Amino acid sequence: MLDYFLAALTPLNFLLALAGVAAGTIIGSVPGLTATMAVAVLVPITFGMPPESALILLGAIYTGAIYGGAYAAILLNTPGTPSAIGTTFDGYPMAKRGDGDLAVTIACLSSLVGGLIGAFALLLLAPPLATAALAFGPGEYFWMAIFGLSLIAALSTRDFLKGLIGACFGILVAMIGISETSGEVRFTFGSNTLLGGIETVSALIGLYCVPVLIELAARSERHLDAPEQTRGFRLPEAFATLMRQKVNVLRSSLIGTLVGALPGAGGSIAGLVAYSEARRSDRSEPAYGTGNPGGIVATESANNATVGGGFIPTLVLGIPGTPPDAVILGALMVQGVRTGPTLFNDGSSIVYTFIFGLFLATILMLPTGLIIGRFAYSSIVKAPKAGLVPVVAFMTIIGSFAIRNSLSDVGIMLVLGVIGWLANRRGFSVSPIVLGLILGRIAEEGFVQSWTIGDAMGSIPGQFFGRPLSMVIIALTALSFIYPFLPDIKRMFRRGGEEAMPEKANAKDRASTAAILRDLAAVGVMAAVALVALWQCTLLNPEAAVFPQTIAIGMLVLCAFAALETLLTRRVVEDRSSGSTPRRIAVPVAMAVGVALAPVLGFALAGIVMALGLFLAAEHDKRTARGWLILAASVAAVILIFTLGFREALSVPLPRGMIF
Amino acid sequence: MKKYMFAAAAGLVALTSGFSAFAQEFPPGQVEYIIPFGPGGESDITARLQQPFFEKLYDEQLVVSYKPGGGGAVGWSQLNSMADDGSVIMGVNLPHIIVQPKQGNVGYDTDDITNVYMFHYTPDAIVVRADSPYETLDDLIAEAKANPKKVTFSGSGKGTANHLVAIKFDTLAETTTTYVAFKGTGAAVTAMLGGQVAAEWGYTTVAAGQGDQVRMLAVAMEERHPTFPDVPTFKELGYDIVSGAYRGIAVPKDASEQTRRAVSDAIASINADPEFQQKMIDGGFALIDVPYGEEMDAWMAARAQEYIPAARAAGVID
Repeated sequence: MLDYFLAALTPLNFLLALAGVAAGTIIGSVPGLTATMAVAVLVPITFGMPPESALILLGAIYTGAIYGGAYAAILLNTPGTPSAIGTTFDGYPMAKRGDGDLAVTIACLSSLVGGLIGAFALLLLAPPLATAALAFGPGEYFWMAIFGLSLIAALSTRDFLKGLIGACFGILVAMIGISETSGEVRFTFGSNTLLGGIETVSALIGLYCVPVLIELAARSERHLDAPEQTRGFRLPEAFATLMRQKVNVLRSSLIGTLVGALPGAGGSIAGLVAYSEARRSDRSEPAYGTGNPGGIVATESANNATVGGGFIPTLVLGIPGTPPDAVILGALMVQGVRTGPTLFNDGSSIVYTFIFGLFLATILMLPTGLIIGRFAYSSIVKAPKAGLVPVVAFMTIIGSFAIRNSLSDVGIMLVLGVIGWLANRRGFSVSPIVLGLILGRIAEEGFVQSWTIGDAMGSIPGQFFGRPLSMVIIALTALSFIYPFLPDIKRMFRRGGEEAMPEKANAKDRASTAAILRDLAAVGVMAAVALVALWQCTLLNPEAAVFPQTIAIGMLVLCAFAALETLLTRRVVEDRSSGSTPRRIAVPVAMAVGVALAPVLGFALAGIVMALGLFLAAEHDKRTARGWLILAASVAAVILIFTLGFREALSVPLPRGMIF
Repeated sequence: MKKYMFAAAAGLVALTSGFSAFAQEFPPGQVEYIIPFGPGGESDITARLQQPFFEKLYDEQLVVSYKPGGGGAVGWSQLNSMADDGSVIMGVNLPHIIVQPKQGNVGYDTDDITNVYMFHYTPDAIVVRADSPYETLDDLIAEAKANPKKVTFSGSGKGTANHLVAIKFDTLAETTTTYVAFKGTGAAVTAMLGGQVAAEWGYTTVAAGQGDQVRMLAVAMEERHPTFPDVPTFKELGYDIVSGAYRGIAVPKDASEQTRRAVSDAIASINADPEFQQKMIDGGFALIDVPYGEEMDAWMAARAQEYIPAARAAGVID
């Protein structure tokens, strides 16, 4: 063992681990640049290296990228990688109240612990865990997706019905394109653009980030409260938080390791499951979803634990545990390394050197992560709005382009962003939509497969409800769904049910007729979406239609309930914050112009034109001509650097157009 | 005057060298190799295996990039709008490019794609877990006949090579089995290893990756695979099945005849390298050589004749 440890510690490997973590953290912090992409870009570089060093570099980048996703989640409410979705729930509220620096440090410490626990599991328990993961069949994947969806109950306590409707909407959006299992073309309305489906990461960027940009431009107050004096890393505070949350850290890291070991799950689900469990067992104030550090601890420790966990099936079974693992597996094959049980049992030096390299990378994440995190925090807190909005907007565009090298993905991102913003105004939170989008596909696959197998075996209920592992997940799901309503239910019993919802009677909550009409219109639009989906389903073969059909019918029923609730209670949940409407409209318009100009002018120049528009939309301060010039020049410089970096370092074929 | 003469001469030289650059043989510089799938799949792995040999051959970089979506359709529908000077080549997969355009509007037609070389295929195979009760293909067929529908196979998705072969097998063996569609080969292997299904319609690459964890009952090749000399072919057992997922290279349709041949030759030379061959065979792949020209046209026509009725029988196309 010690030999392997020493082999991992050669100066070259040490340098590779350090560089990998730093590069990964930076890449992961840009929304759109995922861990998968970071790893894929660097694969050719590793061909010239010895296999151990190659693996260490790739593992380090992967680790760093998963952690880096937390920055954008905390500071911009936009998960940098899908794994960081859960981090936005509490990270952004913390940043809003001025604790962004603390949140970043907590994320770093949690990632460290999660990463170490995942790596320990890989070192000590890999073969048995890989075997255990195989027990997870289609039924279990289906129920796990439903378990993830149970988070809706928590994320939309403002209006549970609207949360459910939003999730159905997300699921239907996920069905667009060629179905990978049934091979059917669904909901594309003849458009080639939609054929490839809605890319999850670009959808995430649009749904989370565009509304933030719109609201940033609309009002003059600062994006995040800046601290009066620098407070350093706030390491002791973060450490104390983690000590208070030690059960949470351990549980979330274990969840992350186990979910990571499931081929077909991945970091985003691990984070969501851990978050859901943490919320259920933690009663401390402030509540989860409004800035409780426990939410960050849960998500970040779980998603970094999936790194080690995901390598378990990758190395033991030769089946990738997470998407980045698939890339690493391919790189290993090219290197001539055969994965599989023999690789582990023979105690071949590659595996153990790699695992110690992973430990090394994880530990190096502490200093690098803190320093880069500090830099990310201070640059976002200090940046004036007129600079922040164009730069972040450009990042969202270049990021969603880079995923599939496709401008139509950028267009879809923008459209979804506007939909997300409108939905949010009408009281449909974005997070349930995102959950539907991510979990819908997994749920459908598991559902159809269980159905097919059950049908063949002559026992469909047995496939869904008769499997022991499924039963456990079903029980957890039920708990998770009911839990947020426990106080209400208790109250209902205590008062003998005579007045279940005390708010109902409260006269000042009663909404105006205009608000009710607005609400009914929004619910009506959702119902119309469901109807269109139902109509489209009649054109599909039964296997491809059964799942979206069920969801659309459910969505219609929910819409009816929501309309009824609004009419009866005269209570409307919506977001009517103040701010300038022209500025709001200007943001997506400027972005759309930028996207349209990109193939004509070239990416960077179109970006600068767009930046100019956003600059005007978001400028609230009085600035001297000189200040204006400095700001404009620095925004242009950032855009140029990004374009060059993407084009040259990451080989992204950005449209060049006429100029640049 | 002399100065002008010189300038004119220089201009002429520049012009001719420009011409020769235009007519220059492949590659024009760095070549982008687009895989219309995500990283980590077989298309990616084989591209990565070709990469170093290409660079050895031409001393130019072969940059592998990805354009996933729609089971490859996103990439293929954009192929003809890309640079036609040989600086862009794209991976193509069968049966995808034959079956997809028949399923509805997927943004391209089979004939829109200029295939210049088919370089390998992953032969279909029936794979079971090492501890499975089915020792031979006959065991499995006997079970399927005794209990119609109850023998379940995992596979990599509806309309893929192994779905079509599953249907063909049912017809030839006169059995009724259940095909459970998973999302790709990895998920199908997981389901088979986990005992969620009785067997997997997989490829020889699965057995190469899983080693003694699994057993192949038969492979859909003309002759036995060199890595698995003990596994019989379907043909030996009396079922006329030779099939799999074929992979090749295409160029945009505006590429000149010369460029098409040059790319074809390049892939042919890589395929002829013994070191490359060994790497492919170890991975469970089977090499084929279908170059650009009449040979390709005839080969594609034969495949279409095979796949389209199969896809119709499978209910994937109308």
